[in-house]
Amino acid sequence: MLKPIGNNICNENRFSAIFKKYAKDLHAFLFYKYGEHLNPKDKVQDAFIKLWQNCGKVSPEKAKSYLYTVANNLMLNEVAHQKVVLKHQKTKPTAHSNESPEFLMEEDEYRKKLEKAIANLTEAQRIAFLMNRAEGKRFKEIASLLNISTKAVEKRIYGALKKLREEIDEL
Amino acid sequence: MNKEELILKWLDNDLTPKELETFKALADYESLIKLSNYSKGFKAPKYDTTDALQNTLDSIEAKKTVSKNWLQPILKVAAILAICFGGYYYTTTLDSTFATHFAEKSSIELPDHSSVHLNALSKITFNKTNWNNNRTITLDGEAFFKVEEGSTFNVKTDVGTVTVLGTQFNIKQRKNYFEVICYEGTVQINYNTAKTILKAGDSFLVLNGNIITDLSINKKQPEWLNNVSAFSSLPLSEVLAEFERQYKIKFDTSNIKVNTLYTGKFTHKDIDIALKSITEPLHLNYTKNNKTIILSRE
Repeated sequence: MLKPIGNNICNENRFSAIFKKYAKDLHAFLFYKYGEHLNPKDKVQDAFIKLWQNCGKVSPEKAKSYLYTVANNLMLNEVAHQKVVLKHQKTKPTAHSNESPEFLMEEDEYRKKLEKAIANLTEAQRIAFLMNRAEGKRFKEIASLLNISTKAVEKRIYGALKKLREEIDEL
Repeated sequence: MNKEELILKWLDNDLTPKELETFKALADYESLIKLSNYSKGFKAPKYDTTDALQNTLDSIEAKKTVSKNWLQPILKVAAILAICFGGYYYTTTLDSTFATHFAEKSSIELPDHSSVHLNALSKITFNKTNWNNNRTITLDGEAFFKVEEGSTFNVKTDVGTVTVLGTQFNIKQRKNYFEVICYEGTVQINYNTAKTILKAGDSFLVLNGNIITDLSINKKQPEWLNNVSAFSSLPLSEVLAEFERQYKIKFDTSNIKVNTLYTGKFTHKDIDIALKSITEPLHLNYTKNNKTIILSRE
């Protein structure tokens, strides 16, 4: 089936628009899925370069799933999948100025526990949960990004929350 | 509404003010908020879309210039083709050589359909390119030529050159022996700066430096084409030399005189009949010893 010529991505403006639409989410997805050490930024760029090279073959509607597939494969090619440990950045969630040493210690401990607990989530749970909590995305957005139903997103996020709480509270 | 639904609505940022009150009243409200707040710390690093887009477009541009290097494989292919063509051209312009071994005959068709029949242990060399304008063959040995009409046809031998315009003739150039027999048309022989014209039926023979021209032939083509060697008052040594070429054997002539003249023929097909046709008229005996034939007087 031939696509109408005016409808492909082989046009810098159209390509840029697609980039702006998908790049940030793709980057976040790769980061949550594979961690930082595999250079999610580079993979996003490589995936888009590949999209450009195949711009005549990939319709704009297929661009998103094409990008996710390509970027994912690039990651998998890089190294055997290791357990992903996301580092907690020390942004202070609360703005107390005079925290007691006990409080600071407690906070540090909590952070470590959370890091470990998040690392123990399944890949699918981790992506969905952090897309929601860290990226602030609503269920519907996540569902469309991951090509799954809203119900499945709910299940993954709630499952993640339950697992995290169990692990943190129990210890 | 149960607790799970409430929490999910909170996660999806979808609580009504009234539901928010209920949520805040949950026993684990504090710990949920804490978990949520801390989770924000795992946010992906800042991603500057504008910057990243520019980088991507830049490297696409860079790849385009790299793709100009596609010229390189094309050049490689071109180089290979040039070598192949060069090799082809070289080999086609090379001289063609045809040679026969002991007891072997061969016929060759030249580019203008002239033909050459090679007798045993003979060699011709010629160049196919521009053949029609330069018909020159180098001969070492014995050959019978049927020349189509056309430009001057030259046969070069170490001893002399034979020039013709379309005819049939035989050249035999061996050690101390140079013979040209013309069967049709006219040939001109350049031998030691002297020119000799042969007409059909004429022959020209140089034996040990002496020219003998008064032999005339009434055959249509040389006998050797019919696998027979014919001699007319020639020294036995020449006869035996030809015999050796046809049968790949050696003669031991230490007990006989080899300058005896011989007139006769021998076949190329049966060594015993051939030996008899030479030895009987000359009253000689022969004994075969492997690849050597010893001749002796009766």
